[in-house]
Amino acid sequence: MAENVEKRKGGFEFKECAIIRKSTGKKAVTLRELRSLLVDISEKSIYYHIYQYFLKQELSEYTNEFARWAGEFLEERALAEQLSNVDPYSFKDLASLRNELLAVLDYYHEQFPESREVARGHEFYFEESVTFTFLVGVKVRNLAEFLFGIKYVDISSIYYHFYEARVRHGMDDFSRWIEDSLEEKALAEKVRAIDPFMNSLDRIRDHIVTAVEQTVRSNMEVL
Amino acid sequence: MIEQYSGIAPKGDLLLLKKLGEKLARKKFLHINSTRSGGGVAEILQRMIPILQGIGIEARWEVIEGDEKFFDTTKKMHNALQGQAEVITDEMWEHHYEVNRNNAEKLDLSADAVLIHDPQPAPLIDFKKDGKWFWRCHIDLSNPAQGVFESLRKYCEKYDAAIFSVARFARGIPISQFIITPSIDPLSDKNRDLSTEEVRQIMDKLKIPSDRPILLQVSRFDRFKDPTGVVKAYRLVKKYNECVLVLAGSPALDDPEGATVLAEVTSFASDDPDIHILLLPPFSDVEINALQRAATIIFQKSLKEGFGLTVSESLWKGKPVIGGAAGGIPLQITHGVSGFLVHSLEGAAFRARQLLNNPEMARSMGEQGKEYVRTNFLITRQTRDYLALWYSIENPGKDFHEL
Repeated sequence: MAENVEKRKGGFEFKECAIIRKSTGKKAVTLRELRSLLVDISEKSIYYHIYQYFLKQELSEYTNEFARWAGEFLEERALAEQLSNVDPYSFKDLASLRNELLAVLDYYHEQFPESREVARGHEFYFEESVTFTFLVGVKVRNLAEFLFGIKYVDISSIYYHFYEARVRHGMDDFSRWIEDSLEEKALAEKVRAIDPFMNSLDRIRDHIVTAVEQTVRSNMEVL
Repeated sequence: MIEQYSGIAPKGDLLLLKKLGEKLARKKFLHINSTRSGGGVAEILQRMIPILQGIGIEARWEVIEGDEKFFDTTKKMHNALQGQAEVITDEMWEHHYEVNRNNAEKLDLSADAVLIHDPQPAPLIDFKKDGKWFWRCHIDLSNPAQGVFESLRKYCEKYDAAIFSVARFARGIPISQFIITPSIDPLSDKNRDLSTEEVRQIMDKLKIPSDRPILLQVSRFDRFKDPTGVVKAYRLVKKYNECVLVLAGSPALDDPEGATVLAEVTSFASDDPDIHILLLPPFSDVEINALQRAATIIFQKSLKEGFGLTVSESLWKGKPVIGGAAGGIPLQITHGVSGFLVHSLEGAAFRARQLLNNPEMARSMGEQGKEYVRTNFLITRQTRDYLALWYSIENPGKDFHEL
């Protein structure tokens, strides 16, 4: 553990990621079909529809693709709210996340057993992805440089460090580096307090920039 | 070449393109379709090949040749794949195959990756020499007429992967199926920046007044684009909001119904001097660009649509778009953010009135729409996706690649 922290001491290198989408050839027209396919669908597909949902820069009131489909196309609003409330970062693996999604669907089905069909063209298509990550070529060593870097990089870099990082090691890369390497604990906590489910990538960037600017300014005033 | 897109396309797309270019440097990438000009595929290939060459890939583009009977058959095939009832006899399928066999003898098919566009050259897979072969289908296959895809399937299944524009176009075939949306080129005549003076001159030439808001639809004169519905919507708008309507399209030589629909719309518009129906010559790209830039609101009120890239073209000009919820249009318009998706002519009129009465909302939607196109529908992203697919097929068994 101490060694890992030691490794993070030093600069922060921005990375980005991009995905290409793959079709699984499976689609659901009703909630029952969605549930039935969800039992066996690949973990890669669950990963794409739940975690990589945040890479889409569409504004939506729902926090994953299943919730969005239930709310916008099936018009099962209560179910959409319940699915949106599933926190994907609170599960130890994809199998547990799958079980939770099934449990939410089952609970809803018990209360509302009628299964309606979506309009043609609005079926749920199960997809997977292939992910590419790469260094942006921006390495920063202090907060002032970090401020410049985070304003410069593409939005998919914010996704990679703020969302994808949570799957890799349980927290975002930014606050981790700010705390371990720069020892700015208060700032790290501010970044950690940004709600990942209620903000677009652009707004997350804005929140981080504001928090970092405040810290840089206050550090300068001290000087 | 790729440097020209710097400052326009997302930095990450350009960076990934370069990195993939390094990985695939000096490899041969062959594209094959059935026409050198006309249509979206040729339009994009004309620009994509130099981009690929610019990042070190030996890209080539070949075009298959065929007789009238061949293209008559492939037109029927195209229609049938999109759901229209057509008779395609065994003899026609055999001719389709024979024409491809003749082309295979003439073309140099050796390459590290071969991308075959659409059904016309699909049988070339039987003459594969080496490399990875991908079949790119640009057609809406969501509801094909019975039998037609089954006849094509025997070719599709031999490819290393298939590519569709939209998830629901994909078919149940036992090969990897990728979803890659089409794109526009921000530097082409249809999309490049135009000066205010250039736009004004073109509007003067087309006799479009600039003293009132302009509602515009650019499309072929086709019933599925609902031009009559757009005129009806305009009339509802006009009751309370002063505006002009422009319907602009080019004659489609392969669409005998075009002239009939144009006559219908012209007659329906009667003698309203504020309705401008423009039949533009083919390749009027700069004129269309100027019309989109001069417009206040752009309609794409299609009842049925393939992908509908005119929506991205319009959004790229920073204009809010009111689109029918058909085909690929909902993938391009985020309802209430970059425009509106509508399900009726009344809906189209209502949304147009909302936008005309709230210029700030129109401006903001236009801005967001342009940004959405920048990140999702530019040629650099599509080129990047093709290379990423190729790289992933070359390196199987991995879902994450660190470059």
